Amino acid sequence: MLPEMAAPAIRTSRLTKDYGVGRGLFDLDLQVSAQEVFGYLGPNGSGKTTTIRLLMGMIRPSQGTAHVFGLDCFREAVEVKRKVGYLPGDVPQFGSLRGSEVVAYLGGMRGGVDRRRVRALAERFDLDLSRRFREYSSGNKQKLAIVLAFMHEPELLILDEPTSSLDPLNQQEFYALLRETRDGGATVFLSSHVLSEVEHVCDRVGIIRDGRLVRLAQLEELRRIRVHRVEIEFAPDTAVPEVELRRAEGVAEVTVTGQRATCTVRGSFEALMRAIRDAQVVDFVSTEPSLEEIFLSYFSERKPKALTP
Amino acid sequence: MTTILFGLRLGRWGVVGFSLAAFVSALIQTVGFYQIAGHTPDERIAFGNSILALASQFSALFPPPIRPDTVGGYVEFRGFHPLAILFAVWALASATGAARGDEERGLVEAALATGISRIGLIAARTAAFALGLVIAAAAAGAGFFVGVASGRESVAPLGLIEASGLLVAVGLFCYALSLLVAQLAAARVATAAAGVLLLGLFLLNSLSRVFDWLSTWRWLSPFRYYDLSQPLPPGGHFEGRAVVVLIGVSVVAAAAAAAAFELRDLGSALVRTPARARAVSNIVSGTVWWRWPVLRGVFERRIATAVWAVGMAALAIVFVSLTRTIVQVLLSLPSLLPYLSIFVRQQVYPGVLGFTWFNVAQLLFAALAVTYVARWSAEDTDGRLEVTLSQPISRAAVVVERMTTLVVCALVIVAASGTTLYYASHMQGIDLNAGRVVAASLMLVPFALVFACAGSLLAAWNPRAAVGLLGAFAFASYLDTELGSIYKLPLWVQDLSAFKLFGTPLLTGVDGRNVALLLLLSLVGLASSILAMQRRDVGA
Repeated sequence: MLPEMAAPAIRTSRLTKDYGVGRGLFDLDLQVSAQEVFGYLGPNGSGKTTTIRLLMGMIRPSQGTAHVFGLDCFREAVEVKRKVGYLPGDVPQFGSLRGSEVVAYLGGMRGGVDRRRVRALAERFDLDLSRRFREYSSGNKQKLAIVLAFMHEPELLILDEPTSSLDPLNQQEFYALLRETRDGGATVFLSSHVLSEVEHVCDRVGIIRDGRLVRLAQLEELRRIRVHRVEIEFAPDTAVPEVELRRAEGVAEVTVTGQRATCTVRGSFEALMRAIRDAQVVDFVSTEPSLEEIFLSYFSERKPKALTP
Repeated sequence: MTTILFGLRLGRWGVVGFSLAAFVSALIQTVGFYQIAGHTPDERIAFGNSILALASQFSALFPPPIRPDTVGGYVEFRGFHPLAILFAVWALASATGAARGDEERGLVEAALATGISRIGLIAARTAAFALGLVIAAAAAGAGFFVGVASGRESVAPLGLIEASGLLVAVGLFCYALSLLVAQLAAARVATAAAGVLLLGLFLLNSLSRVFDWLSTWRWLSPFRYYDLSQPLPPGGHFEGRAVVVLIGVSVVAAAAAAAAFELRDLGSALVRTPARARAVSNIVSGTVWWRWPVLRGVFERRIATAVWAVGMAALAIVFVSLTRTIVQVLLSLPSLLPYLSIFVRQQVYPGVLGFTWFNVAQLLFAALAVTYVARWSAEDTDGRLEVTLSQPISRAAVVVERMTTLVVCALVIVAASGTTLYYASHMQGIDLNAGRVVAASLMLVPFALVFACAGSLLAAWNPRAAVGLLGAFAFASYLDTELGSIYKLPLWVQDLSAFKLFGTPLLTGVDGRNVALLLLLSLVGLASSILAMQRRDVGA
């Protein structure tokens, strides 16, 4: 007798939510394995939140199916949610309830709260649970949402742009928490529109645009996709190493104006740094292009086609 | 101008809903007059006398009518006076919504970021509401005009304009006052504080008709200035100075609100208690109530429920006090004795108390249900429903828990008001049947449940429009019972009204058939709302 295969954490088949006039999600075929950290990348309005709401059973699919650990996301929604921790894209409003009351209220719906776990999470993010929700800054509201998603140590975390209001220090803390959670055996489905964010924590990424999944990629491929725009200003008495820059691997679109050079860098910065090591640099600015720009440069088409199954 | 239009757009559903309600109410009351008042002069005089007798029981709510044997006098009493209360409620909701609700949603911050001054913003929102009031008051006038035309009579245009102008003036006063209170109080208590103030001013004026010692202070109430005019009936009068006072005080109150807005921080009240130094806490609330379904909802609404219970108990005391005065007035009129003996079969006190108190209690319990539905709709739009459904709890359980919470809170309020009614009556020497007080008070629970279930269905179908639609449903339900017999509507249509099904339990006991129908309507509403909730998209 064959051993029973464990169900994937997430499996969707031709999952579609059609809002009309081309808006929504179309024919999504996706599988996320247990204990995987899956990044779901896409520009604003691409269908990330629609996918997440379908997985959470908040909205009904127009067609297709979605399963979490083998359970139908809509018909077996209650069982699904026992296994899931959810962080919505927009933090819900709890008015004048205190943070501690929000945790107790929602924890009560799960049969109780692991008080030590909540305390550890709140301390980690420096969140004062005694304050009223109304008094929280947007960053603190986001921290509370993180506590609510993680407090019952779920098997699957579905996180919709979880770091959107966090400062850089708390973002790093959040990434560390994600890594610990993965190491503890949980699966993570994380949506984002920031390439570097998924690069920090994800094993694999799916890229969605205009409601269609256009690419599934491993982290290495993501790094190849990643492009930076670089501006370098050299000291007045230094010769600009234009030739070296043009020859450097991964460096393109080199333009030199006076002592200022601009270029794009795909992948590692190592070749660029070697090219300019003998020159005296007074300013170095690297910016990450938006996903939209990446689509235009990498996929070289405005309206990418969906992946063929 | 853009900000005024923006303010009108934000309040467009209120303008449409209240204009519609004003038009329908004035039209139905006017047409109803021709149906029931008779056609000969004698018939109309007899009808006018019966309305005067009815009005004496409601002197705590409305001023006595002038010439209710005429269409103008009747509609002024039955149509326009209740509209003044309705417009006050609208003003309260709009002002606190504009001042603090929009602030919480970030709309005020966004508006100020465009460069408009705070004073300009307050002025624009006030002007927008005033425009809405003019539209709604014109609709009331149009309803009266059309109704009178259907009776082949004519309307004095000046009286109609004056009656509509009075509605605008009293509405504007209530708006400006609520706007001022909303600047002074914290956001979470702003609506309650303004509501308590307006209710206090209303009661100050209306109770001064019964208690002489209050008449010294009634000049403080805007409703007093409204009462000074009755322009619709023949021989009626219009007190222009009273309208000037209403408008003048409105302008002053709006200016004070603008000044207070200038002085306070966004998100804060002008008057606030200093924050206490408090250590940071990472501890989860240990209150056991949060752990249990229904109890968590009851606990969360504990302060609101307590306010409702205390408020209704206080109102019960007021009505018991009024009953003795009203009955003494009624019994002093020999011509009314046969009428009273026919309708209340010698139980004068329970009859009047049952009629006045439980009519008001029904309206209040309908309002209680509306506040719950407003909360459910807000939970939908502010994302709280989404996060609730991300816990292992079914949609059906959410609906059932909401309803059960409402029933438990209603029971607490009913217990407080019913007990107070019984003992206050006893203290006044009015002996009520204890069993009937309990039964009549408990009848308020299925009564509220009908509205809550209808509201739950509407909230599941269209959360943004749920409160407005439920308000319209409650209004239609009230009109159904008021006018069903006049317009000779089929019995089954009249039986759809919870107000009709409530009956007169204090006087005649609870009708088992009516209770069964109330519960059946609730059950149908509950089942439909569960079905609608299970099929709908949340958060989309």
